[in-house]
Amino acid sequence: MTEKPAEKTEVKLEIGRFGKFLQDNGIKSKRQSDSNNVETIVIDAKDLEPAMRLLKTSSETTLNFLLCVSGVDYADKIDSVYHLWSYEHNDALVIKVELPKNNMTNTQTPCMSSISNFWPAANWHERETYDLVGIRYLKHPYLRRILNPWDWEGHPLRRDYKQLIDALNDKNPHSFR
Amino acid sequence: MATELTTTNLKTDEMIINMGPQHPATHGVLRLILKLDGEIVRHVEPVIGHLHRAQEWQGQNRTLFQYQALIDRVDYLSGMFTSLAFAHACEQIDGCEVPPRAQYLRALVCEMNRISSHLLWLGTFLIDLGALFGFPFYPFREREKLLDLFEEIAGQRMMFNYIRIGGVIRDPKPTWFEKVRKFTQEFPDRIDEYEAIVTQNPIVLKRTKDVGILDKQVAFDYGVSGPSLRGSGVNYDLRKVRPYGIYPDLNFDVPLGQNKGDTWDRYMCRILEMRQSNELIKQCLDKMPEGEILGKKQIAGLRIKAGEGFSAIESPRGVLGCYVISNGSDKAYRIKWRNPSFCNLAVLPSLLIGRPISDIMAIFGSIDVILPDVDR
Repeated sequence: MTEKPAEKTEVKLEIGRFGKFLQDNGIKSKRQSDSNNVETIVIDAKDLEPAMRLLKTSSETTLNFLLCVSGVDYADKIDSVYHLWSYEHNDALVIKVELPKNNMTNTQTPCMSSISNFWPAANWHERETYDLVGIRYLKHPYLRRILNPWDWEGHPLRRDYKQLIDALNDKNPHSFR
Repeated sequence: MATELTTTNLKTDEMIINMGPQHPATHGVLRLILKLDGEIVRHVEPVIGHLHRAQEWQGQNRTLFQYQALIDRVDYLSGMFTSLAFAHACEQIDGCEVPPRAQYLRALVCEMNRISSHLLWLGTFLIDLGALFGFPFYPFREREKLLDLFEEIAGQRMMFNYIRIGGVIRDPKPTWFEKVRKFTQEFPDRIDEYEAIVTQNPIVLKRTKDVGILDKQVAFDYGVSGPSLRGSGVNYDLRKVRPYGIYPDLNFDVPLGQNKGDTWDRYMCRILEMRQSNELIKQCLDKMPEGEILGKKQIAGLRIKAGEGFSAIESPRGVLGCYVISNGSDKAYRIKWRNPSFCNLAVLPSLLIGRPISDIMAIFGSIDVILPDVDR
């Protein structure tokens, strides 16, 4: 359950097209190795909202198709991953925001700002990520659990998640059956 | 003193009504909390998750080989597509080659699956509109034939487990191809039959024309894709825009809505798409090469290299994405599904507000949401 993905060797990567665009507008980003020839950048949590606004509306980029927001739990950090496409052209971008864990327990949640105020597509995806991975998106209009019941405890896609009540297991004293 | 009662000074309270989750027309278990002013919908809150089966959790706690059998359940009406998205993502990471015959077989079964999915949608959409007179069984007649064909190659009628990482699992017999060809020959007549009953039917026109107009900008903001988006006139089909597999070699048109993106446009898009899929099947049959069908050994300890992969394909409902992170073991580290139904359903409230309650099912049916795909 707790094994790490293989360590990637750190190579200094050249700044990509979208990284350059963000740098010109005063937003720092770090390039990661590409997956399937799609530029992957890591940016700070506080820079996410202005960066997304720029990438969505600027005529240079028009990345106006937010495919999904996914949370990935690693051993020492939780990633919030944004896959961006465009309805007009063929470019793509993956943005990652790394949130340190600092010995967080399963019920504690790291915080970052939400983008669903100006991008409605993110609304349900952020709720889903909050529900399953436990990233608290601040200023989200309606941050409730979406797939699990409202009274569910813990976040199932955390690597240290343990089911509190095993409703289907008869040997469990807390079983419903 | 008696006050005068007129319709203008009658005060009506807003009423809150639960539609579903056991409502017969919600295609599964969707709950809509409606706030109604008389007959007009003022506020909608969709409540989902009743069919949540923790597909992503299972993905990281089962081996890849075990999980391949489960992913058809993500969207049970288009199982081939969910398998294909997962296989594409794993092949991206692993870099394994897919033989050309397998590529063609994949496209062939996917287009057949697209037709069978749209046929079920056509039947249920007409039920949603109130056509309980038996029309729904016309499309089911053809769907039955397709499911029989699937059963012959995959052994199952809906949960195929046919497309695997590196290719497809079984090579069909020559007689199977003949049966498919026979189906493609008679299918256009069948669509003509449905169209004769439905397309210019005055009741259908009244229920669907100018109902649930999906504005382009709203669709972009919510990330809508698939026929629901193309009904609004946006030419966005992944088979053309970001071609995968052998689609660059095939000729087909992308049907677009000719009007303003109402329910009828979305209906028409799917009808025309079935005709295009039929043409694609014919082309796949004509061009089918000989050779290997599987580029990776299917063993219980199936492993892929470490890395990240994101694949997206055009499923009958829209852009179906699969994000896989692998650490080189026989289990995936993280699997995330980008389900078209989940994203398309989010746009529903903005289509319903201001419409009478009787339009809810027409609009909901026309965006073709399948609830297991929403809740996974």
